[in-house]
Amino acid sequence: MTAKVFDPEAVVDAMAPLLGLTLTPESRAQTLVHLRIAAEQAEKLLSVPLDDRQEPAPVFTA
Amino acid sequence: MTAALLDGTAQAIAAAIRTGAVSAREIAQETLDRIEARNGALGAFTDMTATRALAKADAIDTARARGTNLGPLAGAPFAVKNLFDIAGLPTRAGSKINRDRPPSKVDATVIARLETAGGVLVGALNMGEFAYDFTGRNVHDGPSRNPHDLEHMTGGSSGGSAAAVAGGLVPIALGSDTNGSIRVPSSFCGLFGLKPTYGRLSRVGTFPFVASLDHVGSLARSVGDLALSYDAMLGRDDRDPAQADMPAAAASPMLNDRDVGLRVARLGSYFARSADPSAISAVDTIARALKADRVVELAGAEQARSAAYLITMVEGAALHLARLRERAQDFDPEVRDRLIAGTMVPGAWAAQAQKFRRQFHATTLALFGDVDILLAPATPCRAPRLEQTTFVLDGREMLVRPNIGLFTQPISFIGLPVVTAPVWTEGEKLPIGVQIIAAPWREDLALRVAWALERDGVVRAPVARLS
Repeated sequence: MTAKVFDPEAVVDAMAPLLGLTLTPESRAQTLVHLRIAAEQAEKLLSVPLDDRQEPAPVFTA
Repeated sequence: MTAALLDGTAQAIAAAIRTGAVSAREIAQETLDRIEARNGALGAFTDMTATRALAKADAIDTARARGTNLGPLAGAPFAVKNLFDIAGLPTRAGSKINRDRPPSKVDATVIARLETAGGVLVGALNMGEFAYDFTGRNVHDGPSRNPHDLEHMTGGSSGGSAAAVAGGLVPIALGSDTNGSIRVPSSFCGLFGLKPTYGRLSRVGTFPFVASLDHVGSLARSVGDLALSYDAMLGRDDRDPAQADMPAAAASPMLNDRDVGLRVARLGSYFARSADPSAISAVDTIARALKADRVVELAGAEQARSAAYLITMVEGAALHLARLRERAQDFDPEVRDRLIAGTMVPGAWAAQAQKFRRQFHATTLALFGDVDILLAPATPCRAPRLEQTTFVLDGREMLVRPNIGLFTQPISFIGLPVVTAPVWTEGEKLPIGVQIIAAPWREDLALRVAWALERDGVVRAPVARLS
């Protein structure tokens, strides 16, 4: 999923019941504001190509 | 005399108690009285630990009378953001929901260490709910207010910590910093703030926010106090899995080492683009004082901020999902809806953010091959007004709350140690901070530079004159 095709309204309306969350109209409106910001941030992040072999930051030592 | 001491440093208070010029009890009582008198205006404290503070002060006076060596912070009052466990209090973390938790049985590790050094805990401090905040607003406890102008924000989420120190209630306060929550209020309230290296200080006994980004540290009105509190909190705590097994070198003894030879550069591009002229001017002031004319680029800073933003949304949401289901109405709405949005962020974005994090870490560490200290604004502007919800940066109107940390986030994203130092401009009521950034585990260098700037009068952190 890329940020550009991310549809916050569709995501909120589909996921809220799946997550067991009940949103008031005010809360839904603000959630959309923040999901749009997230999509903007993701677009910037995903614009940087990463090697398939790039390891993630968190380290677990067995 | 006591009033002058309370406006001064923890070091001076401890020295006066050691010589017997004043008793620890007098200091504790005067501090508690001052909190009672000023807290209504500042909104700094949510709990006072008066009985405990007076008992601790009496124990210090008794120890002195017996000739026992007193610790470096002997009798110095301190307070902590209310996400640190304090025995006997529920750890509210700025929330209504957590007030239902049972009282903590033991203190957070760093509180115990400060008390071992002689510090006297006087209470717990206001903060943004669950630390998801850069403003200092809190719908449950009311806002903390900027002591230098009560109509302006303290910054958050360690807003009460900054209000308490800048308002002269305590010389040292503890805060936490996930994306900037020590550095932002230090900037807005004109204080020195230290966010140590990720993994340096124990977080045991603190309420988490984003485990992979959470740090604890202190705010103070002098670099000496900042270093002293940091030194007291050092040391291994096996119960914090993120804590690194690094030697715990005290910074205080090295503060007055000559700063000659340190290679200092300012960060360009991203760190200049979205800043108000006041932020750029503050960096100019410090760069000039340090004779730093080099500018270096932190490649990927904008994406680093984005990645930190997304990791915060996802980890924060995961922490609170059950509470969002069961008690949504009990959250601060400004926090709740950000957390709800975080539950819906695609996992692929967060995973990509963690991969980018390692790449960005490697490229940034390479910069420290030929530079010791990097300078950047701590906040894009001076403290906004309390009710302000938007500001214009880089020609674009943005929400204040999510965007105050745009210069702090790329730095804490990879856990670099930072001292925020406050710069004042003649004629301005409010200060603004500059981040003095060092390589991992080199808190000593950032503190040394801040100490030299304070010594030379370039930066300072006075007690506010409350109107």
